[in-house]
Amino acid sequence: MITDSIRSEIDEIMTRYPAGRQRSAVLPALYVIQREFGYCPVEAQNELAEILGIAPVEVSAVVGFYNMFHEEPKGEYHVEVCTNVPCLLRGSRQCMHHFEETLGVHHGQKTEDGQFGLDHMECLGSCGTAPMAAVTDQKTGQIRYFENLDSAEDVEKVVDLLKSGKGFTTLERWTPEGDPENAGVTAGPYNHGGMDPKYLLARVKTPDSHTLASYEADGGYATAKRVLSEMESAAVIEQVKASGIRGRGGAGFPTGVKWGFLPKGVFPRYLVVNADESEPGTFKDRMIMEYDPHQLLEGIVMSAFAIEAEQAYVYIRGEYYFAYTRMQAAIAEAKAAGYLGDNCFGTGKKLEVVMHRGAGAYECGEETAQLSSLEGYRGQPRLKPPFPAVEGLYAKPTIVNNVESIANVTHVMRHGVEWYRSYGTEQSAGMRIFCLSGNVKRPGLYELPHATTLRDLIYEYGGGPELDDVPIKAIVPGGLSMKLLTPDQMDTPLDYESVAAAGSLLGSAGVIVIDERFSMVEIARRTLSFYREESCGKCTPCREGGAWLEKIMLRIEEGQGREKDLELLEYIARNIAGKSFCPFGEASVWGMQSNLAKFRHEFLDHIEATNPSSVGPDIPIRPIYRPDTHTPSGLHQNEQKPQGERIVLHDEFVPGD
Amino acid sequence: MADNVTLTIDGKQVSAAPGMLLVDAAEIANIEIPVFCSHPKLDPVGCCRMCMVEIEGPRGSRLMTACTTPVAEGMVVHTNTPQVAEVQEANLGFILLNHPLDCPICDKGGECPLQDQTMRFGPGISQLVEPKRLKQKNYDISDMIVLDQERCVLCWRCIRYLEEWEDKPQLGLHNRGNETVIDIQDGQPVDAKTSGNIIDICPVGALTNQISRFAYRPWEVERTASVCNHCSVGCNIRVDTRTHTVRRIIGRENMQVNDQWICDKGRFAHAWVNGENRLETPLLRKNGELVPVQWSEALDFIAEKLQAVKQQHGASAIGAIGSAKIGNESNYALQRLFRSVIGTNNIDHRDGADVAGLATGLPSLAGVMKPQYGPNPQVDTIFLFGIDPSEELPILDLHLKRAVKKGGAKLIIAHPRKIELTRYNGPYLAYEPGTEATLLNGLLRAAAGQKEGLNSTAVSHLADVKKWTEEADDRALADLCRTDPAAVKAAAAMLAKSEKALIIYGPQAARGSDGPAIRDGLANLAFLTGHQDRLAFVGLEANSQGARDMGVLPDRLPGHASIGSSDAVKRLEHLWECKLPTAAGQSYKQMLDGGVKALYVMGADPASERPEWAEKLDGLDLLVVQELYLTETAKRADVVLPALGWSETDATFTNLERRVQRAPKAVALPQSRAAADWAILSHLAQKLGAKWHFADAKALEAEIGKAAPIYRGLTWEALGDQGLQWDASALKSKPELKEVRQKMAKGSKEYPLTLVTGTVLFDGGTLFGATEKLDGVTVGPVVGLSPADATKLGLTEGAAVAVSSPEGSLSLTVHISEQVQPGSAWIPESLPGAPVGALLNGSVVQRVKVEKAA
Repeated sequence: MITDSIRSEIDEIMTRYPAGRQRSAVLPALYVIQREFGYCPVEAQNELAEILGIAPVEVSAVVGFYNMFHEEPKGEYHVEVCTNVPCLLRGSRQCMHHFEETLGVHHGQKTEDGQFGLDHMECLGSCGTAPMAAVTDQKTGQIRYFENLDSAEDVEKVVDLLKSGKGFTTLERWTPEGDPENAGVTAGPYNHGGMDPKYLLARVKTPDSHTLASYEADGGYATAKRVLSEMESAAVIEQVKASGIRGRGGAGFPTGVKWGFLPKGVFPRYLVVNADESEPGTFKDRMIMEYDPHQLLEGIVMSAFAIEAEQAYVYIRGEYYFAYTRMQAAIAEAKAAGYLGDNCFGTGKKLEVVMHRGAGAYECGEETAQLSSLEGYRGQPRLKPPFPAVEGLYAKPTIVNNVESIANVTHVMRHGVEWYRSYGTEQSAGMRIFCLSGNVKRPGLYELPHATTLRDLIYEYGGGPELDDVPIKAIVPGGLSMKLLTPDQMDTPLDYESVAAAGSLLGSAGVIVIDERFSMVEIARRTLSFYREESCGKCTPCREGGAWLEKIMLRIEEGQGREKDLELLEYIARNIAGKSFCPFGEASVWGMQSNLAKFRHEFLDHIEATNPSSVGPDIPIRPIYRPDTHTPSGLHQNEQKPQGERIVLHDEFVPGD
Repeated sequence: MADNVTLTIDGKQVSAAPGMLLVDAAEIANIEIPVFCSHPKLDPVGCCRMCMVEIEGPRGSRLMTACTTPVAEGMVVHTNTPQVAEVQEANLGFILLNHPLDCPICDKGGECPLQDQTMRFGPGISQLVEPKRLKQKNYDISDMIVLDQERCVLCWRCIRYLEEWEDKPQLGLHNRGNETVIDIQDGQPVDAKTSGNIIDICPVGALTNQISRFAYRPWEVERTASVCNHCSVGCNIRVDTRTHTVRRIIGRENMQVNDQWICDKGRFAHAWVNGENRLETPLLRKNGELVPVQWSEALDFIAEKLQAVKQQHGASAIGAIGSAKIGNESNYALQRLFRSVIGTNNIDHRDGADVAGLATGLPSLAGVMKPQYGPNPQVDTIFLFGIDPSEELPILDLHLKRAVKKGGAKLIIAHPRKIELTRYNGPYLAYEPGTEATLLNGLLRAAAGQKEGLNSTAVSHLADVKKWTEEADDRALADLCRTDPAAVKAAAAMLAKSEKALIIYGPQAARGSDGPAIRDGLANLAFLTGHQDRLAFVGLEANSQGARDMGVLPDRLPGHASIGSSDAVKRLEHLWECKLPTAAGQSYKQMLDGGVKALYVMGADPASERPEWAEKLDGLDLLVVQELYLTETAKRADVVLPALGWSETDATFTNLERRVQRAPKAVALPQSRAAADWAILSHLAQKLGAKWHFADAKALEAEIGKAAPIYRGLTWEALGDQGLQWDASALKSKPELKEVRQKMAKGSKEYPLTLVTGTVLFDGGTLFGATEKLDGVTVGPVVGLSPADATKLGLTEGAAVAVSSPEGSLSLTVHISEQVQPGSAWIPESLPGAPVGALLNGSVVQRVKVEKAA
């Protein structure tokens, strides 16, 4: 089934990974297979297993884990509408409905001619430009984002464009205003702003900002060249340590301290750049990679030099296809210029940077899960210790850092520690890209010093509530995982310590604003649906408890809630948080825990309104089991669909009500 | 070794080895921590979250998983706090949430850790009011194992077993999150040879035994600790019986033998014990028909006939064939009867004198197992010569894989087929059957060229060695043996470099007239490279070692004494009150080739091996067969005596490392008049005028201890349920170098391929074939061809062909396999309806041609 040309493509992919680690090629190779066949046929999986020297079941286990690999064809154009909370707040339900109307199919289905497949999707990192859909062109494997799809007309335009075959003339994001085919202009970078001068986002609006020429014209790579020729590795680590850069992925661990954990004298070492930006409400890394990739690359060159790694992998989420191509091009340019490769800047230092696409799994943002994924396994977390710095990728010392963290390295090395520490606070130094989404007038990215207040961010930069007459009800300060804040906490400075003191965490700085139009019951349920969908399934509490929470919330939503369910929810959440294998457990329930604590009355009101006598649901009669050896019970053919099917939309939903 | 650390668990001081996991340390203190994913034989994974305990720390106590946390000095652990209790209860609640609770019809019910832990740590009631999640039930992952995904708690034990022990991932997690299931890849059932172990370690009823499905309730069975009788490893098992039938077999731990694992043949192929066609009464041929008779009539007839033949043709016209499938007691009784009462040494068994074995077996299985448990491997290199553990001795195969993967042992393989273990990339020495001694000379020659690592005594003969082996140069290796000379050099270098290498050869490698030369060639190599103490011959049957130990050989008395050994003769003549015959007897092959007039066969079926032998059996004056089933041989007998088999009578078996182990009576056959082999022989002896009075197997064991000094003290009681090894030191002979030559078979244009035979695990033999549910995995009547030869002959997979040699012809179907070397045709023994003996007809090396069936 695998032809010679696919085979040679896979052979090339295998060369990107160290000898004996060809298993790492499994995800990229599956992309090739899926592009060729429209899905991943079992036969091709088996042949791939043989090529990679692994068992067929090891390939099928991987295919099943990642959302972006299909076991059946999804249509020529696979349309996936984000329905996660930030998009929900901006009308993703209507957007999905418009697609359903326009295409004449329900989500989860394919058009009769097989041209379009329609599905709902979890956060795609486009929260500032919601609602939106990502479309995959099966023939090429390319993915393009279609954003700001506020009206039925917008959706029709998208469908028409795709039908005309011109949907993929560029991979840059499409918006109703930014449509080169019709309006003649590309959309360019999405809305951003913040302090003056900006650093991380300073260049994104420059024409051709992604090219080497443009980057060098702005002084790019001079720092890397100086650092590599003049500094010792240890001095770079010291400088980063002194700057106080803290991890921008969510945990906020000091970057330089992490680098200091590397065991002495153990090589090779690896740098893995975590570009798996998947925390709902977070879309900053995407901008850096799409519009200023060299800024990141320069940071990678210096970070790899500091930790003495000669190989760096950028693990980018599979949906960020445009960012992936921009990074690929940037790497090629940098390599041609001699900034990467066997002799970086003529210093004799070596560095190869390889882009590695994930394939749709939130858990792969967790560093050990990311390493498992990069090694070609299911993206499930590993036991710590050993920590990645000691035994990470391929059991070698490995540093995993977020894109924004590495981009900060570029600026700390360029401008120095004191400059960096002049922004923010003692503990939360430097500037931060805040991702503002939800019910504000101007959602987008805002580069501001740490400790800017929530109020300034939302009102001064975000323009205040989306609708002047609908007040803000709740704010998620650091990505969907984090606990909710309420409007009375609007003066909380957005730094690690202050947000923690306010009862939440700064996380990935994804600030999601929720206004009074939305039911907190729905927010809680939709949040839980996300974690149910994204749980990797490794440990019991998260796998079982997470799905149970969603089932209960669905029941409450549908009018069969009982008051005592709220205690049950709390009990379950308490026994997931801190009992799970990895931090995902906590992340999955914090939102609901804080929601229940702060908005309990909404849950009680909903139950009172829909199920006043607290009647329990009809418990289905348990299936009958027969001790019949060879006849299947037939239970799996049961009509009952998994709960996940019902998450987003109900058939009877009519927009514009 | 670092000193033990001391920690406190629930107020008890515990001393534990550094690195030990908390869950194991708690066990020392007799504190139970509930687990699902954790297993003492598997690497920790920490996914079930059942074993949470509180560990005191500088910032208060923290909940940690005991199965992933190593002990530390001064650690303070609590397993019984209210917080721990809540977590345990909640977690069990999570596990049970979607569990179908179909315990009444679950085979695990009654021995289910999930039931037990729910009882002890779980919630009393489920709070779930929504529908349960549905997954696949009654889902076959192979012909032997049923998966119920709803019962599964996703502990990964099965996945980890197949990865960590079998090194053969065949089960994996599929899908994600709440939808996660264990599954196989579509169309690829689990076929690891020890797959059934995942049933034993499954902590719930997710994986159940297809063969024993719904055939037992754990609390209703009688459990008998026994040993398996399918191969010479002698895995310890437990036989579960009820109403006189074997209901199931599971593994039993013996850290000297099989750890806790058993192979699928041992686990699943037991239907033969309670087979419908078992012989239940003596049969005597009257007017050409075998008709049921009383025991006395049958035995009288035999006694009379034996005496008549003896009178007419002498004792040397009478022969007896014993069996390596039968226990020591009966084999001992057989050879005693024929030596002391009849007066002949015509005693042998299949693969007995016709195979050049060694007396002492493997030094120890634990020596192979050791690397996986400790840093001091007892062997660092293993050289397999003409043996395929994956098909012949699956648990040895498991140990070897583990020794390579965890212990870093090196594997060298010489085999006419590129057997499965060659995947570990040690040197692979392919060879053409009939050129073994030349290959060994080539190895010796290469070893002689090594600068270091040679035995200092042997080195003084290097000049001789170089002279003898001159002809086994690279060219001879490449042209005659079809062995890669570079691999030979690499193997010789590894053997010389090795501190402790183990060299194992099997019957396939040393059969027939070349056998002694091959054995000597191996001994030369072992001696020169300093491994003479670890050269082992390994028989394949459950009692291959025991049959030899008991003297079921034409030239050896019990205890491996030569028939000319005056000490032994004196001892036995005194013990048996007789005069022993002095002439060496005939071998199995010689007797069947027509060397005797009367033949007494106990548990062997030579008629099915070769058509010519079947004819010769018809022409005997007397043929007596003691059997379980009416075999091809039994059909030709004058008298057929129904025997009790393994698990129906107490017996001891001696495994490949000389471990004598008990296989007690576990079932009775109330309707049957069959008797233990030794009891039949004992009655016959009395009919023949001898004064035998063995009341039970123990009485025979007592006598064996007297007859064979190596068995002294190995009584039923002393053996216990883990067995005892007999001491081989008395049998060690002084190593010497011998010149070895092998006559080369000539090539033939008419018959272009060399026949390669051997054993497959799932064959068509009587024992395996009786379990009909396993028909699907039985190797059919196939001939294996290399892809190159298949292409040359224009044959595709499954093509019907006629394979013929100068001796005969067989109809087979083609199986194309990379394992088969170009220029050879692979036909395993005991394939259903296709006796490869028809092509060999007693020869060891044979050439064949393969033609499309007309």
